[in-house]
Amino acid sequence: MVPVQYNVRSLLVRRITTTVTALGVALVVAVFAGALMLKEGIVQALKAAGRDDVAIVLRKGSDAELSSAIANEYLNLLRGHPQVAQGPAGAVGEVVVVIAGEHIDGSGLSNVVVRGTPAEGFAFRPEVHVIEGRAPKPGTNEVAIGKAIAGRFKGMSIGESFDLRHNRPLQVVGVFEAGGSSYESEAWGDVEVVRHALGREAGVSSARIKLNSKTDFEAYRAEIEGDKRMSMKVMREGEYYAKSSEQLTAFLTGMGLAFAIMISVAAMLGAAITMNGAVANRSREIGTLRALGFSRVSILTSFLLEALVLAIIGGAIGVVVVQLAALIKFPVMNFQTFSEIVIGFHATPAVIVKALVFSGVMGLAGGLIPAIRASRVSPVEAMRA
Amino acid sequence: VNIATYSRRNLFRRRGRTILTVVAVAIAVLIFCLLRTVVWEFNQGAAQAEQDRVAVRHKVSLTMQLPKRYVEDVRSTPGVKAATWANWFGAKDPKERTPFFAGFAVDQDSWFDVMDDMKVDPAQLAEWKQTRNGAIIGDNLAKTFGVKVGDNMVVNSDIFPGDWELKVVGIYQPLRRTVDRSTLVFRWDFFNDDARVSVKDTVGWMLARIDGAGHSADIAKAIDKKFDDKDDQTLTMSEHEFQMQFLGGFAAVLSAFNVISLVILLIMTLILANTIAMSVRERTHEYGVLRAIGFSPGYIRGSVVGESVLVALVGGATGVLVTVGLINGVLGPFVEENMASMFPYFHVPTNAILLALGLAVGLGVVAGIVPAVLATRRKVTDALRRLD
Repeated sequence: MVPVQYNVRSLLVRRITTTVTALGVALVVAVFAGALMLKEGIVQALKAAGRDDVAIVLRKGSDAELSSAIANEYLNLLRGHPQVAQGPAGAVGEVVVVIAGEHIDGSGLSNVVVRGTPAEGFAFRPEVHVIEGRAPKPGTNEVAIGKAIAGRFKGMSIGESFDLRHNRPLQVVGVFEAGGSSYESEAWGDVEVVRHALGREAGVSSARIKLNSKTDFEAYRAEIEGDKRMSMKVMREGEYYAKSSEQLTAFLTGMGLAFAIMISVAAMLGAAITMNGAVANRSREIGTLRALGFSRVSILTSFLLEALVLAIIGGAIGVVVVQLAALIKFPVMNFQTFSEIVIGFHATPAVIVKALVFSGVMGLAGGLIPAIRASRVSPVEAMRA
Repeated sequence: VNIATYSRRNLFRRRGRTILTVVAVAIAVLIFCLLRTVVWEFNQGAAQAEQDRVAVRHKVSLTMQLPKRYVEDVRSTPGVKAATWANWFGAKDPKERTPFFAGFAVDQDSWFDVMDDMKVDPAQLAEWKQTRNGAIIGDNLAKTFGVKVGDNMVVNSDIFPGDWELKVVGIYQPLRRTVDRSTLVFRWDFFNDDARVSVKDTVGWMLARIDGAGHSADIAKAIDKKFDDKDDQTLTMSEHEFQMQFLGGFAAVLSAFNVISLVILLIMTLILANTIAMSVRERTHEYGVLRAIGFSPGYIRGSVVGESVLVALVGGATGVLVTVGLINGVLGPFVEENMASMFPYFHVPTNAILLALGLAVGLGVVAGIVPAVLATRRKVTDALRRLD
């Protein structure tokens, strides 16, 4: 086995080539890790909103709360099952609508979700806390807004108001956080006030059901979906959020990964060029090593190791640099739910490991052919050259 | 020795390395062109949008309906030549052959007068006016559903439950390449009379053809003013702005594309600089000899930069050729068929090709600078002493 120090020193001697190749790898790994972090960011935003012991009921055929409608009389049918937790917070019927929010910075309009929720709506979700101002009083035109949209749209700051219909203003009295979930991009008001303004008194958009335990879900779903009086679809809340964003998630991460993989081909070629050059320049050295008794396999391993070290140094730089992306948050429209969610880059240990493995694979793939060439150097000829 | 000849000959000394570099540059150019094409074609919609058409929607929400009687008020606004209306149907393919297509319930008497960038055969249009469940669809959608004129087609909706049975009475022809060829329109009266529709006698939005594009902002204001003291206020905007609301999130993706484009150019420059730097290091001795027999340092630097530009240009040209073949031949038709609502037309724009080639040459120069300086940094005597 050739000492690793030999490889490290070789890399140090050819500083410029080493730096340039490592930077190339770093850029590719940054793109790769960025795509993975974005995916984690979306998962984070949506997972936080979904709980295992909560079922969401939509009209059959609807994929989103926005297009769903449930008549008032069905709410009691949904509630009257043994699996449902007792008390008023057992079932929450809410009306959901998107309105045009005007960006304060003048960049135009975006959709903002307004959720009309009953008095129990806040308590139903323990992760929701008012962090500024106060919670809206039930039965009034007061609303609280999520922290992700607070201050970004006209009329959506504490003390201001926005219209749901001409001359029916909603008064903002508080800002809430919701554990990073997509609720933070919504405005919450009273269910009666909101649906009255919309002329939709006859029903709600969706119902959330608190189950006694998460194991009750299948039984509850079978009973509701089998109920011939209504035509409803029951999903776990987490499953609903995952499904309602699967196109967006697939689109964003698919695109990011596709580009990372395409660019990585270029970076692999870069690594191959560097290692090829290293082999060509050092054929005398390699010949000497062989003459000293190092086997072909040790030479092969040694050069592969050198490529690996080079790529992992680059990968580590890339992973560190891309952490800066965690500072970026940006809004994207989920075209399945028609609403805007604010997502960011979220690093997990798994993402970092994947990125480093990715850089290692790039190094090995780029270094393989040069390493094979190195192992084939004939000691006699190399030393004569 | 001519400087270009020297640069060119140098390329063939390490043939394997040159080929690898050319391939790497070609890949970078390919990705760059692909990204530019996406950004360009997406923005093309804005440039090509009908300037003389405005859309009128509910001021508060896209999902809120307007009373149908508003149509007459819009029609009577000075400057409005024709107006029509539509309802969003939330169309879905029951067999899920396509993930998404746009379906609207529209007025059969005025829709194609306003949307005159789609042409319908007069006989088919007359047939539509006689057929209550008649639908007119784009040729792409007809292909997806495997239907032709005279066939029945069943569509679902995520808003209005059950099967909707429509009869295809016509196929519209797009007159502009940015027209979506996967749209379905069927009669609003048929839709409005259906018991499943709770939003009776209301419309989702209106479209108006106006008199001259120059004062569209004034006309939009005049329309909105008409409904200013009504319960349902309106928001009038250009048709393009209206469409953008549905694709709004894509703008964020496009800015990500711009960042990735830059990263790719950076990687390309690094790879190129690396290759040239390695060649230069190997030739230290040789450059010493050249200078000893009288070639100026400037000449040597020029030959290094020339070598870099040459590699970049060959790689760039290869990349462009592959791009044109790939996008215009394979990817374009696929995108036009499957993502028609975003990219009705998907071809590499000429300016992306020119930009890519220009950048390849420019970055070739940039990549050559550091190695060129390195090539002449040593004293001639030191360079001559180095043998490896």
